Amino acid sequence: MRNPSLIKEEFLKRWIIALRRCTSLKKNMNILERNKVVKLSADLAMASARNGTTSWSRALIANATRDNDNRILAEQILGPESEILVKRVSTMPFKTCNRRKIRSKRILKRSCSSAIRRVRKTVPRKVLANCIAKRLIQKRTHILKSLVPGGEFMDETTLMEETLDYIAYLRVQVDVMRSCTYC
Amino acid sequence: MSSRRSTQSGTSRITDDQIIELVSKLRQLVPEIRNRRSDKVPASKVLQETCNYIRSLHREVDDLSERLSQLLATIDADSAEASIIRSLIAQ
Repeated sequence: MRNPSLIKEEFLKRWIIALRRCTSLKKNMNILERNKVVKLSADLAMASARNGTTSWSRALIANATRDNDNRILAEQILGPESEILVKRVSTMPFKTCNRRKIRSKRILKRSCSSAIRRVRKTVPRKVLANCIAKRLIQKRTHILKSLVPGGEFMDETTLMEETLDYIAYLRVQVDVMRSCTYC
Repeated sequence: MSSRRSTQSGTSRITDDQIIELVSKLRQLVPEIRNRRSDKVPASKVLQETCNYIRSLHREVDDLSERLSQLLATIDADSAEASIIRSLIAQ
């Protein structure tokens, strides 16, 4: 894993450049716009610091540049040097629609609970416990996939690696933002 | 318990080795898991703690960006604080 203080420097540098670009774009922002700018520039600075080497960073940039409301702002933040990266992530798969997710979750829940009911009558407790444990793992893996950007399209192994990297970068983001806010 | 799970690993989606590796790395990163021994932490617990940790980090980022944007709104005119920010940028 990379040295965290190097990551911090990289993130801070990119974030400040991004903030300057945004403020030069529009001088007088209201509080909501400013909030959006701060958050988006921090997220994109974090993702671009990874330079497209990880799936989550590419997914984060892809989602930001595809969102119609924020696309121009996102591209402004990323700047001309990231043009190649933006083109590269434009080929990534789309985030799945929420309605589809909820419906398939309900179907999965219904089929699993009926399977458990059937199993409970004929199978010993230990096997049942394993089955429940497996279900828990599946459910929580699914939640983790929704938390990590681009997670829905990853297999299990990649998801684990990406999660570790994502957490490391999130911590850096939080540390830097905290020290900026409370300096 | 882990040996029993591995005999059924044909159907289980995450292998034991991945869990062990994930736990050892997460121990350094996630505070909750640090105090438990790795062979006693079940996979579902690890995943749950990871998800909770990521969610709390997200919340903190949102909260910090809100505070920071409020701060920035107030310092625009004030030159003393602007020079602090400028020196931060110059690092």
